[in-house]
Amino acid sequence: MRWDFGSVLANSDALLVGAIGTVRIFAICLVLGLSLGLIVGFGRYAHNRWLYIPATAFVEFFRNTPVLVQILWFYFALPILMPFAVSPLAAAALGISLNSAAFSAEIYRAGIQSIERGQWDGAKALGMDWWQAMMRIILPQAIKRMVPALTNRAIEIFKMSTLASTVAYVELLQQGKLIASLNFNPIEAYTAVAVIFFVILWPFVQASYALERRLRRDE
Amino acid sequence: MYRWEFSPVIANADLLAAGLLNTLKVAGAALVLGVALGLVLALLRLSPRAVASWPAGFVIEVFRTTPPLVQLFWFYFALPLLVGVEMTAYMACVTTFSIQSAAFFAEVFRAGIQSVERGQWEAARAIGMTRNQMLGRIVLPQAIKRMIPAFVERAIELTKTTTLVATISYADLLFAANEVSQKSFRPLETFTAVALVYFAIIYVASLVARRIELRLAKSGESTVH
Repeated sequence: MRWDFGSVLANSDALLVGAIGTVRIFAICLVLGLSLGLIVGFGRYAHNRWLYIPATAFVEFFRNTPVLVQILWFYFALPILMPFAVSPLAAAALGISLNSAAFSAEIYRAGIQSIERGQWDGAKALGMDWWQAMMRIILPQAIKRMVPALTNRAIEIFKMSTLASTVAYVELLQQGKLIASLNFNPIEAYTAVAVIFFVILWPFVQASYALERRLRRDE
Repeated sequence: MYRWEFSPVIANADLLAAGLLNTLKVAGAALVLGVALGLVLALLRLSPRAVASWPAGFVIEVFRTTPPLVQLFWFYFALPLLVGVEMTAYMACVTTFSIQSAAFFAEVFRAGIQSVERGQWEAARAIGMTRNQMLGRIVLPQAIKRMIPAFVERAIELTKTTTLVATISYADLLFAANEVSQKSFRPLETFTAVALVYFAIIYVASLVARRIELRLAKSGESTVH
């Protein structure tokens, strides 16, 4: 067996298009997932039943179903309920964002709950209301503790973006498939895709380990 | 207003049940192989010899850092050409998810083993045990108890990941759903029903996991924070 990456390199423009697609869906899902997660996380933390119950149902449902099922549901099932077509990007981004929102909501909640009661009491003693205490005292401390878990989430989102290829969204894996089927070189094409993902993600994974170690030392 | 009609889904319940069985088959096989291989990887990684710990670390990092769908495609489309063997979809799935989950289980094992206090090792050595005896009789029995919650969590993740096998046409529950929805022209009902089936199974498993976690947390032994 002779490896020949020439046929992959000849198609590097196709891979570049795929990489742009991967980065685009990653960015959308990262922003939507983490910000929606913050809202849901607040809901999970609320004492009001009308906020707590829907937020909890959302988190449990999206954490306990496979993300691929969610993507396919948004792609094949949602258009029947809606008067408009759902594009591959929209379906995949919806599935991955909502899934990430559910997971990050739990990260936010755990982070907020990890702050000692005394901090709340101290803020109240200074005359702050709940919102001021949350924004000025609790969140700034909690966010520091959440950073490693949120970094992990971001890495997961990047990996999950490959699932968009199942609804034919143009990203790296989808382009790898295309190259493999046009040039009959699945070994080189899929190896190249795997290496690209590894090279992009490895520094971030190492950084997340370092962050975790540092946080453990600090506390 | 759309009228929901679940009877075509119920009429194809046997197809879906066969799919569910295949899902459990892949998940079960990958779980057993993944735990065994994960223990081996963890022991190699913890070994003081670089010849053992480096390759193990490399395998763990590669499989934790690349997307599982890319791994599955590599094992299904690339590996058979490289080594010249026929690879069925089932074999590709079990191979991929065994190694992939082994990489994660290895880290669970490592964290568990490292959480056992140094004094336990020293005491075992003091009464003349070899490294294998220390591991087998003293360290692992204590470590495993602490690893249970992380294990169950990983097993749940693995079950969710098995849905990827549908992309290489292995007839799991998700693949069956796709077939039924095309046959019955009822994608909304089919995918909703299948999502609920997954939810029911995984939710129950999550509840059990949380139970165990609470119990272990009470006795002060858990590696999940």
